[in-house]
Amino acid sequence: MNDDKLHIEQFLHGEEKGFEMLVGKYQNRVLNIVYSLVGKDNESEDISQDVFLKVYHGLKSFKQQSQFSTWLYRIVVNTTYDALRKRKKIIYDEEILTKSTDDRNDPKDILFIEERETIIKNALGKIPIKYRTALVLKDIEGLSYIEISRVLCCHIGTVESRIYRARQFLKKELFNISGELI
Amino acid sequence: MNKCKTIKRLLSSYLDKETNSEKTALVEIHVDSCLLCKEELLALQKIKYLVLSKEQRTLPQDYLVNRLREEILNQQYCETRPPWIVIMGNLSRMLIPLPGAVIVLSIIFLISISNQQVDKYSLEEHILSGTQTTTEIALGLILGS
Repeated sequence: MNDDKLHIEQFLHGEEKGFEMLVGKYQNRVLNIVYSLVGKDNESEDISQDVFLKVYHGLKSFKQQSQFSTWLYRIVVNTTYDALRKRKKIIYDEEILTKSTDDRNDPKDILFIEERETIIKNALGKIPIKYRTALVLKDIEGLSYIEISRVLCCHIGTVESRIYRARQFLKKELFNISGELI
Repeated sequence: MNKCKTIKRLLSSYLDKETNSEKTALVEIHVDSCLLCKEELLALQKIKYLVLSKEQRTLPQDYLVNRLREEILNQQYCETRPPWIVIMGNLSRMLIPLPGAVIVLSIIFLISISNQQVDKYSLEEHILSGTQTTTEIALGLILGS
């Protein structure tokens, strides 16, 4: 039995600890997917919280026919889409977000990295959401095409095509923003 | 050129190691001899690297767990509180605009009363002063007096 199944069993037998272990394991992965799709820290945290609330209430009906991670990522994508629909437009502001790693001391390096981050973030924000989702699941989360097709409930050829288009968009946007591929 | 179009469609999945051995060989042989497709492959590699190297967000260990605990407790409280508290809550929410409405209506009422009084006094003063009213002047003009 893998860790996820063990934690799910614990939770289903009334131990909240099982759920908390799942949250601890997946919180940063969920946050990074949501952040890559939404582009704002505070909103990403709220959406991540909603995702895990849905998991909390839905675990009892999770049939475990697919992997827990696949089920979780599906909830992540759907919850993020709902949030974006509510917001109606995807805002990618220019704020420099709180960094998780602060082991860079040279101000020039920090400036360069922050500038590059902003450019990539803005370029990512211009990609249509369904292409961006496929790209994020591939490049940020490292899922295979078959896993992405399960999460997005679409054909593997569609995943291939979306990732291809996302990269074409990104290439074009990066050229438009910075005149080169950074 | 047609071959380049086919290969370019394959480059993205080739980069992700998602092509079968046949397609992989097709891409590699073509890219070796085609400068344009080689450049395209390098550009895609760079894009993939940029996305991969994007800074990752991390949350403190128990941050989300604590938020979730609080939210779940809130939800449980809302589900378990007695119905009369829910009714009272809804009622009080409905009554919030009431004082505002009363104030607005009172102001309107006071303004209309004061206007009526002004009209009444001005007419009385006019009659008492003995000057002709507008109707009297109009009638005088018509009758030629």
